[in-house]
Amino acid sequence: MNAREIEAAAVLSIDRVSIRYDGREVLSPTSFEVARGEFVCIVGPSGCGKTTLLRAASGLVVPSGGEVRRHGQPMAGPSREVAFVFQDYGRALLPWRTVEGNVSLALEAAGVPAGLRAPRIAEALDKVGLGRHARKFPMQLSGGMQQRAQIARCLAQKPELMMMDEPFGALDALTRQGLQDELARLVREDGLTVLFVTHDLEEAIYLGDRVIALQADPGPGRPSMARMIEVPIPRPRDQLTTKEHPEFLRLRRELFAFIAHGHD
Amino acid sequence: MTRWLRPLVFPLALLALFEWYARRAAALGSDALAPPSAAARAFVGAALDGSLWQATAFTLGTAALGLLTGAVLGIGGGIVLGLSRRAADLGLLSIEVLRPVPSVALIPLAMLMFRFGVRMELAIVAFATFWPMLVLVQAAVRQVDPRLLEVSRVLGLSKRDRAWKIVLPAIVPRLFVALRLGVAVALVVAVTVEIAANPNGMGYAMMIAQQSFDPALMLAWLGWIGVVGYAINAAMQRLQQHVARRMGVRP
Amino acid sequence: MTNARTGRWIGSAGVLAALVALWWAASNAGWVSRVFLPTPEATAASLAEGLRGDLLGYTLATVGRMLEGWLLASVFGVMLGAAIGVSPSVRAWVQPTLEFIRPLPASALLPLAISIFGLNPGMVLFVVAFGAMWPVLLATVHGFAAVEPRLSEVARCLQLPRAAFVWKIGLPNALPDILAGMRLSMTISLIVAVVGEMIASQSGLGQAILLAARSFRASELFAGIALLGLIGFASNALLAVAEKKLLRWQGT
Repeated sequence: MNAREIEAAAVLSIDRVSIRYDGREVLSPTSFEVARGEFVCIVGPSGCGKTTLLRAASGLVVPSGGEVRRHGQPMAGPSREVAFVFQDYGRALLPWRTVEGNVSLALEAAGVPAGLRAPRIAEALDKVGLGRHARKFPMQLSGGMQQRAQIARCLAQKPELMMMDEPFGALDALTRQGLQDELARLVREDGLTVLFVTHDLEEAIYLGDRVIALQADPGPGRPSMARMIEVPIPRPRDQLTTKEHPEFLRLRRELFAFIAHGHD
Repeated sequence: MTRWLRPLVFPLALLALFEWYARRAAALGSDALAPPSAAARAFVGAALDGSLWQATAFTLGTAALGLLTGAVLGIGGGIVLGLSRRAADLGLLSIEVLRPVPSVALIPLAMLMFRFGVRMELAIVAFATFWPMLVLVQAAVRQVDPRLLEVSRVLGLSKRDRAWKIVLPAIVPRLFVALRLGVAVALVVAVTVEIAANPNGMGYAMMIAQQSFDPALMLAWLGWIGVVGYAINAAMQRLQQHVARRMGVRP
Repeated sequence: MTNARTGRWIGSAGVLAALVALWWAASNAGWVSRVFLPTPEATAASLAEGLRGDLLGYTLATVGRMLEGWLLASVFGVMLGAAIGVSPSVRAWVQPTLEFIRPLPASALLPLAISIFGLNPGMVLFVVAFGAMWPVLLATVHGFAAVEPRLSEVARCLQLPRAAFVWKIGLPNALPDILAGMRLSMTISLIVAVVGEMIASQSGLGQAILLAARSFRASELFAGIALLGLIGFASNALLAVAEKKLLRWQGT
């Protein structure tokens, strides 16, 4: 492939990816592409393989079948261009380092010289609004702040792709809403491409340009991906008006019905 | 089949290396080491002439008696200190002053009081095991779910009933963890006392073998002490985990 | 300090004072023979006199032996423990052997060491270091083995090089375990140092109290015991303070 072809190829290609665990097929062959700057949400009931799909897309797990490609090149493993935000933020932060120290880890791993780290750390912390809490330890922070610290670390990587595994699932509703808006703003500012797994259908529609719905146990020969819908609601979105938007309500009804009835 | 074989590979390799090295050293005239094969023969010899069993019985028996003494006193004291905030506060300084004294420091004193034999070693084992039992049982009593104590108040249980029916059963799992530690301490201290002073038991037999320039017998005793310690600790671990499961606690 | 706290300290001190008074009465009145139980005054006098004389030297010798052995034990214990702990395969082969060594009394190595090295200070130091190494080694192995799996994944996502992973994640994660192991190790160092002095006739508190007992000099014996208790107390207290400082991040 020449340079222009690589440029034109999708940022992420999921090509008939399937995953087996202990002899069981956790994810049936699934295919879709993600273009630059897109925000794609993946939803589905428990056991549908959405987290597994995300992990395969980030290189943490090798697919049993099919291939994951980035800019046309097969993905061999995790890469610094692909950031991963875990749901259990408490366990993903180093408890013995301050917030600053945790963000610094990403830069240290990338070999950024010590002198150049401070401004980049400050930048990442300001983006998530943790500037004043830089010297605190994770234990001293609330759940929402810990998750923001993890996001700051991912941002410091200056990734191309951001994978998020139910990042707001463990938080209370109010915190969740605040973080959703913050995330939307960040993604827009930095032009990030995001793959976002959630079990919350409204969250998926609210945040996404596209929503992919997976089904659990589709049966032999049937795909895990049962639905892919576009979310043509304009940005910027907000918690009050967007959720009353007719498109939002229509998509919500469609997704709810689909999930409630299980299969297509 | 290979699963239980695997833990043995590394130690067997070490033993083989040691065997080769000791034989070479012996051939060069050193009498400091003996190959494991010679040690094994010495072990069988000691087993057959009864000296093995006699010394082992002394060490284990004395350790057991010492542990019994230390544990009874330690558990009793621990329950009192755990239940009564006042008692714990009053006893704090005295405990912090006496506890750090290493048990081996009391060997000459015990020698003075009891000369040599069972009593001297028993006393030191008792001292050594008393403190961990006291501290651990006190902590265990403190950690009894306060809800259970409220239940005992609401039911109007007597102090004695509260201790027997609520506190004691509640601390049993932690008690066995403490006992597991106590057994380990008792064995180590007993052998240490025999090495340092007391002319009885496994530790002493090992010292005598070394002093008689019988490295094979010395190594046999060293190995046997290791095996006995390992076996008893493993048995205690099983026991403690079994008790934990019976009492509904995750082991 | 609040009134309640001072009250508690006073009560505690009162009980201690009462015990000392009991000691005074028992020894002075002869309830317990003064051969075994010297009077508190005699003990204090022996202590004061001894510290102006040989006792100070003996104390320093024992403390020096203990610290030297402990430092060696800690350094080697952490290094070996880390090497074993980071690799699940090495752990699988070696762990059962480590579990066999764990219950072995450190002093049991003294006859072997005497056999190899003879009766000299180096031999005692070797056994102190070797015996005290195992708690640190075992604790380090455990600390490294128990790395939060999520952190390992984070390291993979950040593509943290292996060495950096051990240094930045493995070691800090293992630190609480390592520090606990080092505290246990200090206790063992003191014990083996004392026993070593006793059987190898090396200058130190161990030998001093043994000789005091053999010559029926009970007050000197008690003075020595008190010093050993003090060493035990001080070393443990210092380590506890260091542990608190290093593990500040664990929160209140």
